[in-house]
Amino acid sequence: MVTSTVRRLALAFMAAACAGVGVAAQAPTQPQTATPQTPVSALAPSNLAKARPKAPFDLTGNWFIDNSPGIQGWLFGPASIPKLKPEAQKHRDAYLQAIKEGKVYRDDIGQCWPAGVPIIMTRVWPIAMIQLPTAIYMISEFMNSLRVVYLDGRKHTDPDIVVRTFNGESVGHWEGDTLVVETKNFTADPHHWIDQGVPASDELRIIERIKMINNGNALEITMTLTDPKNWDGEWTGTRRWNRVNDIDVEEVECLPDLNEHLQSTSSKVHVR
Amino acid sequence: MKKLLLGCACVLLVASVAPVLAHHSPAAFDRTKEVKLVGTVKEFRWQNPHTWIEVIVPDEKGKEVVWGVELTSPTYLIRAGWKSNIIKPGDKVTVVVNPVRSGEPSGIFRSLTLADGRVLTERPARLGTPDSK
Repeated sequence: MVTSTVRRLALAFMAAACAGVGVAAQAPTQPQTATPQTPVSALAPSNLAKARPKAPFDLTGNWFIDNSPGIQGWLFGPASIPKLKPEAQKHRDAYLQAIKEGKVYRDDIGQCWPAGVPIIMTRVWPIAMIQLPTAIYMISEFMNSLRVVYLDGRKHTDPDIVVRTFNGESVGHWEGDTLVVETKNFTADPHHWIDQGVPASDELRIIERIKMINNGNALEITMTLTDPKNWDGEWTGTRRWNRVNDIDVEEVECLPDLNEHLQSTSSKVHVR
Repeated sequence: MKKLLLGCACVLLVASVAPVLAHHSPAAFDRTKEVKLVGTVKEFRWQNPHTWIEVIVPDEKGKEVVWGVELTSPTYLIRAGWKSNIIKPGDKVTVVVNPVRSGEPSGIFRSLTLADGRVLTERPARLGTPDSK
């Protein structure tokens, strides 16, 4: 008797499952959870139209890093590297050993992994910036990576629901004539680096202080990085970007067959 | 006569090399060496992030070796006088590269000499200096 009842219930469940629509009606009541309030889009007309103080400057334009100081002037180079935590130091040591042997250590970007922030802000790829009252949209030519800096007063997304990314989540505000941008919620993916041999973690946090100088033709960006999983204290560097009016940012993809024709990316010189 | 010139073309470069736009580390290449490739174009791809050329070069035993040559993006090549049809498969060319350190047939571009004698180089990836406004 019990067995036949169970069989009938099982058949009824299977029939309901096949019917699809009936399942919800038969299922036990689920506990209700509060639906998080969806933020108003930075491109929503109502958000764009809100009254706000006029921005001290407009970043709209194409920008190219000033690499005239030489490579260590624009990479996050070793000159000012902070004291690394033991696990991060292992990467650094392996990187230094690779260099000594004429090899390349964990060049994940070359394998088409996203460069992420801060690397896209420290390379010789131009960035197109479009500033609206609510956000700045940055498109790096480095694989057309999109970075958005929100200016509409929102806070960073709840860590319980945020989707962590290689560029992180950037929220900015104005302090006098300086744009201050806080970026966090970075991915924990081990392919995300500050630079070669220095890993980035999901605890990376970057404060950028951006000033417009040279009559609107240059940006001075001071970046302060903290990442307690990887180093002690703060790591600060300043980069300049110059306005360029004779190029447009173009489509740049890391296509699946790209590296088949760039033998250097599969060369034996690489330490994976 | 087509010939791969290795030893005599290895030159220590004194001048620093301006960075080119790359999606990978340039550390794979030995910037202190140059290899001169005299051969035939197998393929030329005009694309981002890298333009590349494959050149068929006979080695010392006459065996054909395909060398991969990596260049910067068309944005900067255009500014150095390049066009997408400047070379095509079958063209005889001389290409100078900085080779990868491993000895594999691959290098990063330094110069191209066409059959008619014209020489093409890259424009360094340095934009945004005051004179470019």
